[in-house]
Amino acid sequence: MTRYGGLGRTRPKKLTAKASIPIVREHEIDVIDDELQSTLQQIETGVEKAEESEFHLQVAINATAKGNVNAAHIPTPETILSNLQYDELYPPLFSQPATYIRFSSTVEDCCGCPYNMNEEDDVFLKIFNQKNPANRCSEDDFEATMNFFEETAEAKQPFAAVDSPPVLAFADMEDSMDAAVEECVKRFAKDIYEHWKSRRIAAGNRSLEPSLKFETGQDTDDSDPYVCFRRREVRQIRKTRGRDAQSAEKLRRLRKELEDARQLVALVRQREVARKEMLSMERHLFAQRSEVRDMKRKLNIKDDDEDLINQKPKKKQPEMPPRQPAAPQLRMPLKAGLQGAEDLQLLEDHQAEKENEIMRDIKQNIAKHIKWNEGFVDHTRAPLSPSPERTFDTAAFRPAFTAQLPTPPSSEASADAMDTSLDVSPLSGRGDKLASRAMELHEEPSRIPSFRRRVGRGGRLMIDRRNLAAGCKIEMDPLRSDRFKFDQEDSDEESSYETDGYSIQIMQHRAITMAKAREQAAVAAHAQAQAQAAAQVQAQRRLQAEQAGNNPGSNGPPPAPPAMVAASSEA
Amino acid sequence: MGVRDPHGEVTGTPDPVEKGFATLNTIRIGVKAMVQKDGELRKAEILSIRQRKDGPSFYVHYVDFNKRLDEWVASTRIDLTQEVEWPQPEKADKKKASASNKAAPSKNPKQQLAGDSREVSSTPDALGGKNVNVGKASRPSKAGGKENRDASTPGDSFGAEAASADGTPKVVDFEDVEMADAQDEKTPEEEEVKTVSGEIITREEEIERLRTSGSMTQNPTEIHRVRNLTRLQMGKFDVEPWYFSPYPDSYSDVDLVYIDEFCLSYFDNQRAFERHRAKCTLVHPPGNEIYRDENISFFEVDGRRQRTWCRNLCLLSKLFLDHKTLYYDVDPFLFYCMCTRDETGCHLVGYFSKEKDSAEGYNLACILTLPQYQRRGFGRLLISFSYELSKREGKLGSPEKPLSDLGLLGYRQYWRETLVELLTEPNREAMSENELAVITAMTEKDVHETLVVFNMLRYHKGNWVIVLTDYVLDEHNKRLEKEKVKGARKIDPARLQWKPPVFTASSRTWNW
Repeated sequence: MTRYGGLGRTRPKKLTAKASIPIVREHEIDVIDDELQSTLQQIETGVEKAEESEFHLQVAINATAKGNVNAAHIPTPETILSNLQYDELYPPLFSQPATYIRFSSTVEDCCGCPYNMNEEDDVFLKIFNQKNPANRCSEDDFEATMNFFEETAEAKQPFAAVDSPPVLAFADMEDSMDAAVEECVKRFAKDIYEHWKSRRIAAGNRSLEPSLKFETGQDTDDSDPYVCFRRREVRQIRKTRGRDAQSAEKLRRLRKELEDARQLVALVRQREVARKEMLSMERHLFAQRSEVRDMKRKLNIKDDDEDLINQKPKKKQPEMPPRQPAAPQLRMPLKAGLQGAEDLQLLEDHQAEKENEIMRDIKQNIAKHIKWNEGFVDHTRAPLSPSPERTFDTAAFRPAFTAQLPTPPSSEASADAMDTSLDVSPLSGRGDKLASRAMELHEEPSRIPSFRRRVGRGGRLMIDRRNLAAGCKIEMDPLRSDRFKFDQEDSDEESSYETDGYSIQIMQHRAITMAKAREQAAVAAHAQAQAQAAAQVQAQRRLQAEQAGNNPGSNGPPPAPPAMVAASSEA
Repeated sequence: MGVRDPHGEVTGTPDPVEKGFATLNTIRIGVKAMVQKDGELRKAEILSIRQRKDGPSFYVHYVDFNKRLDEWVASTRIDLTQEVEWPQPEKADKKKASASNKAAPSKNPKQQLAGDSREVSSTPDALGGKNVNVGKASRPSKAGGKENRDASTPGDSFGAEAASADGTPKVVDFEDVEMADAQDEKTPEEEEVKTVSGEIITREEEIERLRTSGSMTQNPTEIHRVRNLTRLQMGKFDVEPWYFSPYPDSYSDVDLVYIDEFCLSYFDNQRAFERHRAKCTLVHPPGNEIYRDENISFFEVDGRRQRTWCRNLCLLSKLFLDHKTLYYDVDPFLFYCMCTRDETGCHLVGYFSKEKDSAEGYNLACILTLPQYQRRGFGRLLISFSYELSKREGKLGSPEKPLSDLGLLGYRQYWRETLVELLTEPNREAMSENELAVITAMTEKDVHETLVVFNMLRYHKGNWVIVLTDYVLDEHNKRLEKEKVKGARKIDPARLQWKPPVFTASSRTWNW
């Protein structure tokens, strides 16, 4: 990185930044290569070239190079102590905090009204206040008013300095007075306007406070040394639809947020106004009361002074159950006017609580009963502690649900159970028990018709049934069933019909069709046979009926198992 | 004032003479004459003339003196017994000269100038004529006996400098133009006219440079060569400004400009200033305090958040920094403001600005100790603080160029002292420049150049050595002794509560 002049014969080694260089004292080396001047020339000072040759700087540089620092003095214009009354202008108000200062207010935040009155204003104000002793204008009010004029003019005539329009009329000023304008401004605007106008005219309708020159977008900007603090050009971003939409969305959101903020502020304002009103009302009330009090004293009325204090409504007992589930609540500082929200209680919560209590009681009682009845079976109606052995029944009697199984249920399990009671003839006790159990059953299951199969002596099959509907409800009326009589092909019969031969509907249906067949058979066989006669010749008829049962199989149920025969015979 | 009449007549004479005797009436802007300065005569260039009750007074720039010594002198201080140098006749001048000749018979120079400029700016051929700027034939005729085109021309300082700076004749040309009409500070249009095609390129380059780099570079045309404020009242002091600063232009008419010491707002009227003081509540720079010791505090102020304050600060510091530009706004800078404290508040003593993101690796853009606090070691503290920040950032840094003369001396002193302090630490036998740089947060280049400048880096018997010369050791010991007596004024890194701020791309740039 260094090129060290022409150092005689040998070219010096290149010096790199990382190379470690020994540090020595001056006396430790003997020869001093007097190349100082040539090397000095190579070092850039970093000073503007045009100024490098300046006399004082050169003197100073040479002085330091020669080791004479004190000569390195560059003369500068003098500063002197001011004769301004410093202490009056800068009051000793500062107290240093213990921690480092953190501060973010701007100059504008700290300087109050930006308009500062001058001597001319002083004169005007003095005269004005002399003329209107009743309506004196303070300096602050005056400045606020002048500032209002200036700001309004700036807003309405931003290019006043360029196209010199007439000074803004007072009517325009009044137009822009809105709620944000201070009261004093409204009060003095009219009086001060003329003064402002005359000053403005004198200034060529420019701002009264001289301002910096900023860029105006004209060509003269660049060469005007007074134009300062230009905006730096922002790199143009490529325009795409996506970006457009994005920025539109951003703007929308911004607008919405601003609108929300505005609303919020407006509401806050409303609230504060209301509060103020309330305070004034209270104050009024207080004044009136003190009047009443005075009157009472004067008239020597003695009572409990109830009318002098606010009758506070009795506070509700805090009977809120502590275990109430804590509803997620927005934590808002409770305002004075909003105390009602605290004891707001939901009816549902209350009811749920009550119900819980009742249910808890009931459960406790049931538990008690179960304990008492341990080892006993409660056969009373609707016992509190239902007996646990209901299961037997369900296994024995198969509820005739209409659940259709593809094949007849295997009867083995039940057969096992039943076969044990093979020889047992129906016991009355058992029957009682069953009856009582039927009572225990809930309504719904008790209504379901149930059947059980038993194998009696000699291989007799028996089917017990219960809960058959009292009247045989014909769900499929004969005509309709008749209509479907020949719908199916014979080969499909089995598959098209429900295969649960025990299903109640099928059984009913079967019974009906059998009855019909019987009739038909009877008609066909005897033609004049009558219902009464048929009853009399039972055996013969049964035979006939059995024949009929077998014969009209075409429209009948699937091939009946042997049980079927027994069932029909029992029915 | 009749200055122009004889002048016009003289310029009309065809023979090119560089020097000649002048009278008060013939002296014009651009003339270089001998002027009494501190008991001696110095060559000085007339930059502006104004008429006073007691005769004309002249704004002069002493050749080879810094501009801060420019001043208004009465005519009596100009030695007219010696020959003066007439401004170099440059190509552009012919038009102007002719224009001014035509407009010559006006009494008031200002009026006349205004008239000139308007006329020139309205004639399109002024530009055209200038583009063909080799009109040597016509030039002498206009230049008259006063203008010289010799080696020892009046423009020699400028010409030489400009040439060395850029090596392009354009710039020379340009400088001459500048010089010739530095008078008309009130008529920017005229300047505009004169920046013709040739210079426009350099102007664009300049602006480009402004755009891409920090704050210090400045377009020569922007240099306003006549100081606009007369005197400044700030805090307890009356301060004389050094350079031009773009305060509102009406301020050049008042004798005293009031600066609020805390908010740095400016006033041309005492009553208004007092009213403002009654309202202003600021008692320290409007930022976060990041350093505090027994004597001073540092505040970090973001140009983007504190636009008004930082603008005020820049306007103020421009009065004392020649090469500062206020061309662009303050957004991309952070301002580190050093204050002394008392019961009235934290008084700004000096500051430096720093780019939020410096492409060139600068750790400092502008640095200024206010004149009322100069020569007390505050500048050294400021520099030291800037390196302390760089250390915290883990970067090597260097100040933005160009440096001013005072800046150069200040930095060289700081660099030397810092390096010597390191090198004299016990048990140091060898160090690389890189090590020195890393420890001090100086760039390797600065380290190297400092060593060279103070003749500490030498080639001895085939090896490079760092020589602690008697001179630097003497200085070092003197300093140590001084510190023993007065107490060391140093930045204590432990008291710096600062993390390098992080900015998003958008906050670094200029969107408002």
